[in-house]
Amino acid sequence: MLSCPSPNATSFAGYAAILAGQPLHELCPAAPGAEAAALGFALGLAAQAAGPVIWAGEEGVFAEEGAPYPPGLAQFGLAPDRLIVVRAAKREEALWAAEQGLSLPGATVICTLSQGGKPLDLKATRRLLLFAERTRARCLLVRPLAETSAAYTRWRVAPAPSFAGARELGAPAYALELVRSRSGPAGARFILEWNAHDHAFAERELARAIFAASFDGSADPRQARA
Amino acid sequence: MPRLSTDRLIRAKRAPEGRALAAYAKQGGAFLLTGVDARASSLGLRLAMSLADARAIHPDLVAMEAEPEEDARTLDHIAAWCERFTPIVVLDAPDGLFLDITGCGHLFGDAAALRDQIMTRLEAQGFACRAALAQTPGAAWALARYGARAEAQDDPVQSLAPLPVAALRLDDAAAALLRRLGLKTIGSLLHAPRASFTARAGERAMLRLDQALGGAPEVLAPRRPAPPVFALRRFLEPLFSTETILQAVERLCLDVIAKLELRGAGARALELHLFGVDGRDRVIGVGVSRPERQLKPLMRLLREKLERAAENLNAEFGIEAARLDVVRLERIAHAQGGLVAAETVQANADQIAGIVDVLSARLGPKRVLRAKLHEAHAPEKAGAWSAALGEKAARAPSPPRDGVMRRPLTLFARPQPIQALAAVPDGPPIRFRWRRVLREVARAEGPERISGDWMSAAAARDYYRVEDKEGRRYWLYREGMYGGDEAPRWFVHGLFA
Repeated sequence: MLSCPSPNATSFAGYAAILAGQPLHELCPAAPGAEAAALGFALGLAAQAAGPVIWAGEEGVFAEEGAPYPPGLAQFGLAPDRLIVVRAAKREEALWAAEQGLSLPGATVICTLSQGGKPLDLKATRRLLLFAERTRARCLLVRPLAETSAAYTRWRVAPAPSFAGARELGAPAYALELVRSRSGPAGARFILEWNAHDHAFAERELARAIFAASFDGSADPRQARA
Repeated sequence: MPRLSTDRLIRAKRAPEGRALAAYAKQGGAFLLTGVDARASSLGLRLAMSLADARAIHPDLVAMEAEPEEDARTLDHIAAWCERFTPIVVLDAPDGLFLDITGCGHLFGDAAALRDQIMTRLEAQGFACRAALAQTPGAAWALARYGARAEAQDDPVQSLAPLPVAALRLDDAAAALLRRLGLKTIGSLLHAPRASFTARAGERAMLRLDQALGGAPEVLAPRRPAPPVFALRRFLEPLFSTETILQAVERLCLDVIAKLELRGAGARALELHLFGVDGRDRVIGVGVSRPERQLKPLMRLLREKLERAAENLNAEFGIEAARLDVVRLERIAHAQGGLVAAETVQANADQIAGIVDVLSARLGPKRVLRAKLHEAHAPEKAGAWSAALGEKAARAPSPPRDGVMRRPLTLFARPQPIQALAAVPDGPPIRFRWRRVLREVARAEGPERISGDWMSAAAARDYYRVEDKEGRRYWLYREGMYGGDEAPRWFVHGLFA
């Protein structure tokens, strides 16, 4: 069995190590309209790593959410020359392309699947896991939350309102909830801001308690789990 | 194939069986025979005989009008079929083919065995044919049409000398002149004084003679450009399963790699020809993004393509021969010995290129893309995607990265119209409806005016970066002004994430 680092549930840093070190993660939009946020979080994780990035997406996702835009990717901190985009006509092709991409050591493969169609079965996610484990590559699966998955961690991702003045947009911000983790309890919540300049996610300390309160009425997730 | 036109009609079952057949065409006001079958020939009918004479000799003759285009198409089909013996097949209209079998004969035993096999199989398909082997195309042409022996002797002069001068591919005027001069055979022509003869019969006749004897070069244009490197294999038994075909392809790959190594080059584009027993040629093309001559990556690409094509191969009669052509090759620059770290970076780029090849081979090059950044104001032009196959990762000038997202992560191919309500005429909207959902704007930045070059006049766009109450971020723009002739229109052009 893999050695499971046990994250400090109160800080994102432990999960950041898991997201960087484990081979398969799922990022699921928390609600309709949150697909872009899930994608942004995945792109941030990819930008943090050093290796090549393969983005294998179903054509339907590119139509629904727009196609990757190189100037925006560059500003986001993901140099376009690191990126290869695969526009797959069918789901099987997107998964196949992701599997091929995972044969590149150190690569991050982002696989974006559309909402329609049959949900991905456990076997398909196991295959991705196997391919990724072989080469120390990493797969970030962006798709609607499903029943079963072989993913190491699964997150619900929503956009978080800017933490800035009324006349400006702050750094890209994401509200995350850990739905499942192989290495510990689920339920942790974070609000992260993406710092494109430093290639880093930072927890938004101040906003965190407020967000937690508004999410389910509990005060602080630290106390909620204690 | 001296009886190509009539053989074609008989083969297509368009001529009644058991009767003499001739094809005719109108030439200068008369109907002349352009093709006669064996039966008509044995009755004394000859080419260029008038149809009326022919009918007088043999009233039961079936005469059909010649179809030169159909004959040409048939000749081309036969030429395509012959490519299983060599890639270099030259059309010699109206009824001949040249096959350059240099380096191919050993696959069949020897060159004569190859010739015999081609003839046997053509005849089995209903085409009478004559063939000859010779050092030069001219000599082969002469021997095939006029020779008693179908093989040149070591001395080309000896084998050509007894043949009539018409065997030199001369035009009618030159041939007639030679006959008038009493020069009936090629041998007599060889002994005639060359200079005076050239002046009267023309340069061409002498050139043809020299070409036949190998004294002057003759360049033929193959039906399809000859690949710089190729390997050909024939199978004792037809192959049926993809697995066995792949084994054969692997051997072809090794052959090709050996030849590429001699040239210090790698393959950039390959074509695999699978020749079926049914006479069809199945072609599978593969592109490589950098010159490659390693077995594993080449086989990976070919396997990928072949497995995808497997269902369309229709190889129920089996594959009898296969040829792997390197259609395009490129010198392999020798890796310069350097730091180990530099080599690992290079290896990584190679691996990426390898994946690009595999992905492009299966999904098509248009689906595997790399980004292109351009200095352009129009958002649509500032960033584009192009096929990653054959493209090196270009270090494009990146826009400033100060952590501010001025451009969205995704862009819609077509800006999506929205209904927007703005508080002030040149301000951002306070709410808008997109995809049937009303979105309340929480904060906005802008406008950024982009007067792109996508249209000549007036159509400046005012872009806003907008965040709704849920934190979703949009790249909106307004086209036109409030208070103008037309109401301004709003669009979502992209999404921040």
